[in-house]
Amino acid sequence: MRKNSIFTWIVILLSSLVLLFILAPLAGMFIHTGKAEFLETIKDKEVHQSVWLTLWVSFAATLLFSIGAVPFAWLLARKKFPVKNFVQGIIDLPIVLPHTAAGIALLGFISRDGFLGKIASFLGINLVNHPAGIALAMAFVSLPFLINASRDGFAAVPERLEKAALNLGASHTKVFFTISLPLAWRSIITGFVMMFARGMSEFGAVVIIAYHPMIAPVLIYERFSSYGLNYARPASVFFILVALLFLIGLRLLSLKRKEKYINTDAQTD
Amino acid sequence: MLRLINISRKLGDFALKDINLEVSDGQYYVLLGRSGSGKTQLLELIAGLGHPDTGKIILDNEDITKRRIQDRRVGIVFQDYAVFPHMTVFGNIAYPLKLRNEPKKSIAEKVEKAANAMNINHILERNPEKLSGGELQRVALARTLITSPRLLLLDESLSSLDTSLKDDLKRLLRNLNKSGQTIIHVTHDYGDAISLAKRVGVIHNGRIIQDGSVDEVFNNPANRFVARYAGIRNFFKVNIVHENGLSFGVTEHNIRFKLNGVSAENNSLLLVKSDAITISNQEHEGKDLNTIKGKVSEIIPSEFGLEVTIDAGDLFFVNISASDRQKLCLAEGNRVWVNFNQKDIVVINGT
Repeated sequence: MRKNSIFTWIVILLSSLVLLFILAPLAGMFIHTGKAEFLETIKDKEVHQSVWLTLWVSFAATLLFSIGAVPFAWLLARKKFPVKNFVQGIIDLPIVLPHTAAGIALLGFISRDGFLGKIASFLGINLVNHPAGIALAMAFVSLPFLINASRDGFAAVPERLEKAALNLGASHTKVFFTISLPLAWRSIITGFVMMFARGMSEFGAVVIIAYHPMIAPVLIYERFSSYGLNYARPASVFFILVALLFLIGLRLLSLKRKEKYINTDAQTD
Repeated sequence: MLRLINISRKLGDFALKDINLEVSDGQYYVLLGRSGSGKTQLLELIAGLGHPDTGKIILDNEDITKRRIQDRRVGIVFQDYAVFPHMTVFGNIAYPLKLRNEPKKSIAEKVEKAANAMNINHILERNPEKLSGGELQRVALARTLITSPRLLLLDESLSSLDTSLKDDLKRLLRNLNKSGQTIIHVTHDYGDAISLAKRVGVIHNGRIIQDGSVDEVFNNPANRFVARYAGIRNFFKVNIVHENGLSFGVTEHNIRFKLNGVSAENNSLLLVKSDAITISNQEHEGKDLNTIKGKVSEIIPSEFGLEVTIDAGDLFFVNISASDRQKLCLAEGNRVWVNFNQKDIVVINGT
């Protein structure tokens, strides 16, 4: 009993140190940001535009790619196919790639000479230095979060429920939209929020694709490299606060939906 | 009428083999088998949740072997009910009707009718998480029956219910069958089979090893496995000897069974039902009576009263009442005789 207690205290101490490591730099940044500088940054039109661009482009990228990523996640959860492990490895690849390298790879694909770049040029869009290009860079590095979380969500839906729906006359499409998707919704939303947040914070891949228009991480870097730490700090604080507000809002929305569903595992396993 | 013709299906290491079965209209057919025997896989093939590698499934003279699950009109109720947790009871029962785009008014009327029949009209607005096992089972039944299935398949539908709920649901299923609904019910519970089935099949290792009326199957089990299902615990492997014009089955421990007029071969299995055996403190005489001396090794409570184990070299298991025990002054260690008529011996040849 005494041994356990000491062990628990050691774990609490170690956990506190890890937590402190995350919170201390953020707290330091907040403390060292003067009120006047912060208020000035809030009024700065360039900062506004940059934060807004980051938010909407990341959100749009997440929303757009979820149209393909969510059914893909269902496929990975439900179907067996010969190269499944290989495909799973490809999905996780953007997580381990250096993000600047990902940006370089993507640039070759979306520049005017690249496959997608040619198609975009045909439609009159130059993806480089364009919000669409930024969205692609954000999606490239953050897609694994949505796919993996959604896949786990679909895998947790008991197959019996899908079989029962088929037996009651539902087509496979109906089963997906009326049973699988609503029951995996919780995990999909979690994946959505994670992809959105990861896309929003992306710097390496985006800076290769588009220095301008500037998303918030690029703006912060630009202010730091041109004017120093004191100029970069208020913009960072503002961006963190806005991002936090957005994330909390999304979380609350998903929590409201969560309450409507129950955990089916106990009943059906 | 449902006919399964030479159905085989391989599933990993397990296979359903040469399943042939006929279930007539209005039948209550119970397929009895242990877990892993293939009974659920067979139900899923009939429902269309899988397809056999070989063989045909004929329903009402139509070959439905390759027909889409949605077009078969075969309803299945799963062991775990599979009630949709994100819908209310109403939503669950209305689900198949909504798929057919029926008008709202018609859906409401049909759901109410189905709920009334299952006695669940008071819980229509509830979420499944708040329902008991019995209620969930009724919701699953109502949801399936609202599709007017030609055939109702029940997968271990009573196994997770307590005794009182089980009895209620059995009554409901019997009434449903009386109203003309053809039912195939798979279970591992011999009691369910006895109380519900008009006809019973026993499935083991992917094969139906016996099929017939309840009496036929349980009074003349085809092998040891079926006999165990019939509650028979007294098995004796014997060799046949003939002395003075009489036949005897002799066990490894030299217990002799009179087998006059019974056709038996060497290595036959003799079965004696526990309730066909009586215990006495004295030896009884009788032309057709087997009387074997042994020692009471254990007396334990059982669902029939008391189960007495008598060691006569081989073990005999006998059911008696508490008053029988008093009359016989029965205690562990007593010397007693077990008595049973030779007509109560069932012989399974070629084991």
